[in-house]
Amino acid sequence: MFGQLIVSGLAVGACYALLAIAMVIIYKTSDVLNFAQGEMAMVSTFVAFTLLDAYHLPFPWAAALTFLFAILLGIFFEIVFLRQAKDPNILGLIIITLGFEMILMGFAGWKWGPDQRSFPFPVSNIEAYNYHGLIISKINFWTILITLVLMFVLFLFFRYTKLGTAMRATQQNQLAARVMGIRTKWILSFTWAISSMVGAAAGMLIAALGVLDPPMMMDPLLKGFASGVLGGMTSLPGAAVGGAMLGIIENLFGGYVSLAFKSVVAFAIIVLMLCIRPSGLLAKHYVKKV
Amino acid sequence: MLKRNLVLGGIMMFIIFSITAPVSAQNVRGVTDTEILIGQTGPQTGPAAAWGSVARGSGLLFKGLNDEGGIHGRKIKYFLRDDSYQPAKTKAIANEFVEQIGIFGVVGCVGAGPGMAVRDYYTENKVLMVSFGVSGVTNWIQPFNKYIFPMFPLYIDEAYTLTKYFFEQMKITKVAMFYQNDDYGKQGLEGVERYEKDKGLKLVASVSAEVTDRDLSSHALKLKNSGAEAVIMWAMPVHAALLLAECAKIGFKPQWGTGSTLSDGPLMLQITKGLWAGMIHSFFGELPDSNHPLMVKYRAWHQKYEPGERWGIFYWAGMAFAEPLVEGLKRTGRDVTPESFIKAMETLKDWRGTGTPLTFTSTDHQGAKQVYFLQVQPDGSFKKLSDWIRITK
Repeated sequence: MFGQLIVSGLAVGACYALLAIAMVIIYKTSDVLNFAQGEMAMVSTFVAFTLLDAYHLPFPWAAALTFLFAILLGIFFEIVFLRQAKDPNILGLIIITLGFEMILMGFAGWKWGPDQRSFPFPVSNIEAYNYHGLIISKINFWTILITLVLMFVLFLFFRYTKLGTAMRATQQNQLAARVMGIRTKWILSFTWAISSMVGAAAGMLIAALGVLDPPMMMDPLLKGFASGVLGGMTSLPGAAVGGAMLGIIENLFGGYVSLAFKSVVAFAIIVLMLCIRPSGLLAKHYVKKV
Repeated sequence: MLKRNLVLGGIMMFIIFSITAPVSAQNVRGVTDTEILIGQTGPQTGPAAAWGSVARGSGLLFKGLNDEGGIHGRKIKYFLRDDSYQPAKTKAIANEFVEQIGIFGVVGCVGAGPGMAVRDYYTENKVLMVSFGVSGVTNWIQPFNKYIFPMFPLYIDEAYTLTKYFFEQMKITKVAMFYQNDDYGKQGLEGVERYEKDKGLKLVASVSAEVTDRDLSSHALKLKNSGAEAVIMWAMPVHAALLLAECAKIGFKPQWGTGSTLSDGPLMLQITKGLWAGMIHSFFGELPDSNHPLMVKYRAWHQKYEPGERWGIFYWAGMAFAEPLVEGLKRTGRDVTPESFIKAMETLKDWRGTGTPLTFTSTDHQGAKQVYFLQVQPDGSFKKLSDWIRITK
């Protein structure tokens, strides 16, 4: 049972990790917590669903088009909503993300209706690999694998590409980056695009693990946020580790202590981390000197 | 001069006020010479929006009925409001219904939580509540309330009878329970436990989930490790789908059972990718493809007025929940008051529309007391496992 709990915890943790990474990418650049992250991912997943179900596109094509849609959605939100804010402060921007979240939720309800649907994913969510008695379902296995690959690609992107370096520079000091000739406004839009794309990947995996409906991201988003706080809201590896840890801790708690209080664990962790180590496990504690 | 203007102004204000406050001009709130005003709250948006079709179904019944000439020369004027399944919103809408629109009664109004938020307010204002709350919790009959006429079988009795069916007909003794951690789920659990206790048995596991939970892997593991031969679930559709998938992943295949709330077979088969086949559940009405004359008429109305709406169980249920209201109004005649309506409703004895047989008396308003069992087939059809069974005394 222990091994089984760890494996399924890792699979769900992988989804939390992706959402946490999506949030951290934006938080690092602009100090904004994006509450629309979940709904952006949900709408992207519905787009994928429409491409697969109504247009019968092969999955790789549908996924590629969905990523393109997610990128455009991220850029659209940054340019049309956030950039228009007059003398924005962080709180104002966060409120704008909340508003966008509600708009997207209403839009999805109107466009696709409230009924639950099953998301056509190429990997079965019932069949399983049996490795020496440890059963890992195909969908869990692929979720973990896809998340690891995505993380690796993101790591390479931020570390070795010019654009990635420019993004990191903007994250560290916007003014200096601008002085060095980086078009920080575009970098910001691009940050939202990447974050939205990572979110879309998480959305598709979450829909494949469960069902697809407008409120499907409510719980995972909160857990993603908790993962970010656990690992560090300014650290990408932290978000990944936080997600995996949260998935496992939750499952072990549910398996051995209490299922009724399983959901509360994430929030207990947020409170605990904020008391003990506010910057998270892997982020450096940042003290502003006056 | 100023005094005269003030008096004139006062008179004008009074005249305008009397014109714009039609409610006070009537003898009975919500009843005019040509109309009866009926309201319904229901989640059209938000996490419970799948149940929104109940309220739209009632709307279809009233539309069809009005086109046939209404009831005793009066048409039903129907007000549907979205409360997103949030009791606070339901409360605000109840105020609007009573104080601004001035309704005679409400029908349906999905949700035990939203229903509880307004039950006492409606009672104080003598609002008739027919098929109220659309749930089988005991809150509508305890304490006895003469304004409420529920038509949903009680969850406790439904769950009790299902457990009995498993034990007596299928010889299953090891039963586990999966339930939603609220009134709905807990009353299901209570019914199952009551039967187990009567037989000197004990549930091998009882596992609960919060409404917002989206990961049920450890729940599935716990059920599997309990060695249960059957699992009864009292949960919402998303949880049912998630749990079935998680159990299938780890190779756990018990006999599943549930109540009438999860009876939308085609929807459940679709979101569970076929795993719903074999499910045994209770039900309290005609099936969507039934040839009952009323069902044939309803399907024709559906095609005529709302062809875009999915013809599913919840949509039909909205019509079935409005049927007793219509029957009550028919029996009341032209002189419609809350008292005369209650009196007429209490003459219903084993009366059937397309739902379960209903009987209301002056001391017992739990009208729905019978269900029957179905088993879902792989092609989405249903196999009838029993005749009507009386589940409540």
